[in-house]
Amino acid sequence: MKTRCTTLPATFIVVAALMSGSCLAKDNSREAALRSAEVARFQAQVDADGAALGKLLDADLEYSHSNGKLDGKSAFIASIKDGSLDYISLEPTIQSLRLFGDVGVIRGLAKVAVTLDGKTSEFTIGYSDVWLWKDGRWQMTEWRSTRLPDAPAK
Amino acid sequence: MKFLVPLAACLLVPMAQAAGRGDAASARAAIQARFDAALKADAAALDRLLADDLDYCSYLGTCQTKAQYIGDVTSGVLKYQAIKSTVDSVKLFADTAVALGKVDVTATRNGEPRSLHIAWTAVLAWRDGRWQLTTWSSTSIDPKAK
Repeated sequence: MKTRCTTLPATFIVVAALMSGSCLAKDNSREAALRSAEVARFQAQVDADGAALGKLLDADLEYSHSNGKLDGKSAFIASIKDGSLDYISLEPTIQSLRLFGDVGVIRGLAKVAVTLDGKTSEFTIGYSDVWLWKDGRWQMTEWRSTRLPDAPAK
Repeated sequence: MKFLVPLAACLLVPMAQAAGRGDAASARAAIQARFDAALKADAAALDRLLADDLDYCSYLGTCQTKAQYIGDVTSGVLKYQAIKSTVDSVKLFADTAVALGKVDVTATRNGEPRSLHIAWTAVLAWRDGRWQLTTWSSTSIDPKAK
């Protein structure tokens, strides 16, 4: 009887540890994949790479521009491919990344140089985006940014 | 012993979540309740509606914790006079809800009056049998923006 009493809790602990280890490893792996996807998505916008954006953006994307305009996936990619929205450079800094099951939420800052309808401007944004783990990869489903005040001249 | 925290989270959270889930209607209700609680400076209600790991980013790009936000609301640093909100969309992903909307806010911060039209994104997590706001980000927009 003593053996059974000590074995059962020990067995539970081992099983629990294995399950949690698997869970934690999955989260760590997905977190790294999400960081990579975020960097790849910014780069694809600069490169106007429609094929890459097609994979990185969710079909139900809601892309909320800082001016309040809302684009879906196809309209957003089309504006990048036709050059009406031309990202010259994007320099993101990820400030936080959190996972909620198959949902990832990133918050960060980005220095933006962009030509929109022929007018070029440079500014910094604070942004947050929401990603989904679908079909074995991360896909961005929401984007929101707000333009930050210009830094005072030195 | 710190390893026990993520261990417990990985094991117990899915078990708790399986016990019941929120839907889009209850997510919308939680968002409205949050606005109502902010308007009334109701700290107890805000404590229930905001997640402990809340990341609350204003239209200025500055971000606050749950304690900081509730502190501003209850101390009167941030005083809402009127909040009129609309929820444009809610997407559900298991125990996470992602909502977009707009809100007209009349408020004072440090005594200075503000009247804003804001577009927002909210991420809510279903925890302890209720929706809790985990992420808030917003931007000030032209009132005519659709």
